Amino acid sequence: MAESFYKSLDIGKDVVATRTLLHEAIPLTGTIVSGTYGTDNIKNYAHGMFQSVYDYPYLSSSANHIFDITAGVSADSAIYSSVSNQQSKKLNIYNQMAQVLVGYDHTGSIQRFDEDGDVLAGGSKLDDVIFLNFARLLTKDEIKKGTFALTLGATQAYATPFTDRILIQDTSGSDGYLVNSPVGEYGILYATNAAGTRLNGNDQKCGLIFYQAGVCALTSSIFQSQLSSSAYMNSSNEDMEAVLTGSNIEAASDALRHRIYNLQFNNTVELNSSVYFCRVNHNEFNYSTNPTYLSGSKIRVKTQSSDLPVSYITTVGLYNDNNELLATAKLSEPLKKSSDTEFTIRVRLDY
Amino acid sequence: MGFLDNSGDIILDAVLTDHGRKLLAKGDGSFQITKFALADDEINYTLYNNSHSSGSAYYDIEILQTPVLEAFTDNAGSVKSKLISYSSMNLLYLPVVKINQQATTTKMHSSGSFIIAVDAETEGTTNNSNNNAVGYNNQDPVAGVIFGESLTGDNFIRLDQGIDSSEISPKQTLDPDLNEVAYIIQIDNRLGKISSKDGDLVPEDYIDDDNIAYYTVDVGLVTQITDDSNAQTQTVAGPRGSRLEFKIASSIDLNTSTYLFTQLGGTSTLEGQSVRHIDSIVRVTGMKTGYSVDIPVRFVKSIIS
Repeated sequence: MAESFYKSLDIGKDVVATRTLLHEAIPLTGTIVSGTYGTDNIKNYAHGMFQSVYDYPYLSSSANHIFDITAGVSADSAIYSSVSNQQSKKLNIYNQMAQVLVGYDHTGSIQRFDEDGDVLAGGSKLDDVIFLNFARLLTKDEIKKGTFALTLGATQAYATPFTDRILIQDTSGSDGYLVNSPVGEYGILYATNAAGTRLNGNDQKCGLIFYQAGVCALTSSIFQSQLSSSAYMNSSNEDMEAVLTGSNIEAASDALRHRIYNLQFNNTVELNSSVYFCRVNHNEFNYSTNPTYLSGSKIRVKTQSSDLPVSYITTVGLYNDNNELLATAKLSEPLKKSSDTEFTIRVRLDY
Repeated sequence: MGFLDNSGDIILDAVLTDHGRKLLAKGDGSFQITKFALADDEINYTLYNNSHSSGSAYYDIEILQTPVLEAFTDNAGSVKSKLISYSSMNLLYLPVVKINQQATTTKMHSSGSFIIAVDAETEGTTNNSNNNAVGYNNQDPVAGVIFGESLTGDNFIRLDQGIDSSEISPKQTLDPDLNEVAYIIQIDNRLGKISSKDGDLVPEDYIDDDNIAYYTVDVGLVTQITDDSNAQTQTVAGPRGSRLEFKIASSIDLNTSTYLFTQLGGTSTLEGQSVRHIDSIVRVTGMKTGYSVDIPVRFVKSIIS
């Protein structure tokens, strides 16, 4: 078509690339995890390597996968030799998660999770770990640093776990995160008393949160040695160590779910945008090819030739050099265009 | 496709078209936005009331209240009526494109569309030996029936362009900026192809993801109208520009199979014969003025009893 339908964009002046970070709050109440739907929203697998949690009974097409729970035990763990149930699977899970999240040392050996992230300095390691792997549906591009908050029931009794509660947060996440992981940035999780005083001391390190990977690695000791007395993790009044050694991963996952009181974080979406400034001068786009624009051949919006031509913009089309329509934008209401007006219409395309 | 919220500030709702996403996925650099166009797809200019009793501020009040639909991704269905820039602000008349049905050979069929007979059986012959044909009636060609297989016969489609107003004499010359020398023809590629009046097939420019084929036609199919009289053969009352003449060839699928007729069409009776049919539209758009006209066409295939 004639160039009078199209106006070229000056790439240097009319096109701008921008980047915006959007955040959504993701609140997960504990009842979704452990009560509202019974176990209909909990999916266990024959392989027994992990357990999936859905926001609705998972047989429904409306259900969304929200996170997985699994447990791993390092070969260097003090309890490893005592693990009598799924020992190899718990080791495999630990090693798999460690090689992805912590990486390898210079000899190619898989490194263990480090309590304070200072791998080179040695120090305390997290050898018995429960993992919460969040679905990308929730975390999007990453978990926003400094927003992770997991409240766990810490009462010793199994039947009434939430009388005393502890709050686990990445309190230093917004300004104290670490970058020595192969999967991006991570923060240290700290536990504080939220109700009651069950912790041996506030601000105890209890795990790691990997922001881009969307994985929370929680030490099992948060239910045991870090409390004034171990929490009972099942109806047999076993502590977490007993569950990890004598029960399978599914039972460990059930034990954790039973004590999740609340979980929330903000996610982050990195929005890359191109902004196109469509500049419409006074002498442009004043006539229309709309079939109703003419009556016979006469322009409806003019009664004599000296009247200003008028058109009404509802749509912006963005084209390539071959005049192929690549994007469209609609105005929420018609915009009157005549030869005594000029506009700059700002069209933003997000990627 | 809902309406956009127009209760507050003007907002802009933008989406990539399906074709845009396709080019983006190709990753070969063809997704490169370099120009823009404006359109007024929802606007009904007949609502412009320049005799409104409350004065000129109210002439376009109904137009400005038009609710606007959300952007949608079909590139063929978006930005259909573009706004256009002319250097002159004093234009009162713009050219149109009209189907010229003044001659017997360019008439539509009496059923209200151009009929494309998709195979020889449906076309028939002058000796009328074929009882299933719709192309002839007592050895006379039926007006409005185009022979889609053989591309023979006298019938074709003719469009005339010009200012259709008796206010201006046809002896006036049409401004060169308004005189079309080329047109774009869009047709469903599953159904037919464009040929010249003489039966020579025209190569398409491209076929989009919705199976719409785009043809740019000029010399060979487009000629200038030199008749400036008020003769009966003319359909444009004022200054005339060009005329476009073409035929439609049936696709191989329609010619050899009834599959698409079953999928997209129905059955009916035409010229006393039972036929399968598919109704479609061929759109012709002027390259300069952007004026477009939709031509109704019906592809028919005789049902052999």
